[in-house]
Amino acid sequence: MVATAAKPAPSSVRESMSEEEWQTRVDLAALYRVVAKHGMTDLGGTHLSARVPGPEHHFLLNPFGLLFEEVTASNLVKVDMDGNIVGESDYPVNAAGFTIHSAVHMARPEIRCVAHTHTIAGIAVSCLQEGLLPITQHSMRFYKRVAYHDWEGIATNLDERERLVRDLGQHKAMILRNHGLLACGESVAEAWRILYYLEKSCASQLEAMAAAHARGRKLVYPSEEVCEYTASMMEKRSPTEHGTRDWPAQLRLLDKEQPDYKH
Amino acid sequence: MAVTAVTSGGESTIREQVSPEEWEVRVDLAAFYRVVAMHGWDDLTGTHISAKVPGEPGNFLLNPYGLLFEEITASSLVKVNLDGEVVLEGQGGYPVNAAGFTIHSAVLGAREDVTCAAHTHTVPGMAISAIDEGLLPMHQKAMRFYKRISYHDYEGVATNLDERERLVRDLGGNNAMVLKNHGLLTCGPSVRTAWLLLYNLEKCCKVQLAVEASGGTPIMPSEALAESTYKQYDTMGVSSRIDGWDSLKRMLDKTDPSYKH
Repeated sequence: MVATAAKPAPSSVRESMSEEEWQTRVDLAALYRVVAKHGMTDLGGTHLSARVPGPEHHFLLNPFGLLFEEVTASNLVKVDMDGNIVGESDYPVNAAGFTIHSAVHMARPEIRCVAHTHTIAGIAVSCLQEGLLPITQHSMRFYKRVAYHDWEGIATNLDERERLVRDLGQHKAMILRNHGLLACGESVAEAWRILYYLEKSCASQLEAMAAAHARGRKLVYPSEEVCEYTASMMEKRSPTEHGTRDWPAQLRLLDKEQPDYKH
Repeated sequence: MAVTAVTSGGESTIREQVSPEEWEVRVDLAAFYRVVAMHGWDDLTGTHISAKVPGEPGNFLLNPYGLLFEEITASSLVKVNLDGEVVLEGQGGYPVNAAGFTIHSAVLGAREDVTCAAHTHTVPGMAISAIDEGLLPMHQKAMRFYKRISYHDYEGVATNLDERERLVRDLGGNNAMVLKNHGLLTCGPSVRTAWLLLYNLEKCCKVQLAVEASGGTPIMPSEALAESTYKQYDTMGVSSRIDGWDSLKRMLDKTDPSYKH
């Protein structure tokens, strides 16, 4: 059980749970900070979640009321699949956040971390009929590997979970139409990697489209074979890479600049 | 009607001269200026954010014209009334901007439900203000403003007090307005509401510009869906958990708490 004090001593929270849960908390808190560092936040909106190891399918969400910059391992809120807070928390969780994240955690047991953003580039591409185009090496990793989910209103209706899950299928990336981006990973590190590449793909696509449109030029599409070859290469290579390079590098930066995420 | 210039020990002098409620609003409004600067939405010494003084009908606070937003403090804000008279000079004795007075006295004078109004000249805001179609309800955030955003045509720098009538007519009961060929305006029943609307309106402008520049085909949600999403926002109200306001103030407290002085 999580301690109830406003600022529990890190050690007391840590001692109350398994080492695996604590490690998940540290990683997820780090993801909040990394997403903030990359300017992908939206005040108190959007959420990143991670499933706690164990048969209960509990998962961690941000304390609703704090900015990403203030999230720490201890203040993350643990919820069950019905949205009940497990243990105690000084903060509630966001209802729309719960709908989207619980949908993925319920349907995809191999997914450990889900990230959702409302960035300028992500929202903009989500508003385009064209969707994400395989026009850069970055975006080719999503070739035929990105899902789309239509806008239904602010996601406070739990019925939407069925359609979210159906639309996501077996993909790890989804564009929420007229809304934003969703990235899933078998680890926090993988979710970050997918989110990062998805964001950069959207931003570069918008620049390319704008410049081409303004000058009456056409976008250059590699052949389907090349796109497929690139995507499958990334897919095969990625599971070993997520944990070994990019993510530890992000953690090293945080450890230097804002080590309080671990508290 | 100007009060004599504040002399040494100005900080405590201003605080001592105003009610605790006014001081609290001053601190919040100064924070608003700092938060806008933090986001890069300021325009040198131009543009303004205002707040009504609690318990003093007709009196409101504006920025000391001549200071950057980063420099504004609770004590340096200028208290004026709806006739444009300085009721209480701020620390430093700066005047208020005439166009700022026109715009803010119009909004605060006409709207009893509004206590704070914010106006910016950001690049995305000005760009949207210069396009004839206005803000489109093409995504979740923009649906918050669906049929609830006003437009006011440009008449020249707003130093003519006659313009107030037309500003008020155009704003109507909305809390957001695009000042055509000029910039953005949001207002609300609290500082945090005006902030949340300003943040979202700014982001909506950026997204729309990106979508339009791409030359791609926008997916426009149906009018019924846009309206029902607006209603969801309206029902939820402005949550102190989603506006980030308390967190942003905590960040200011860490990086530069001088706004509170």
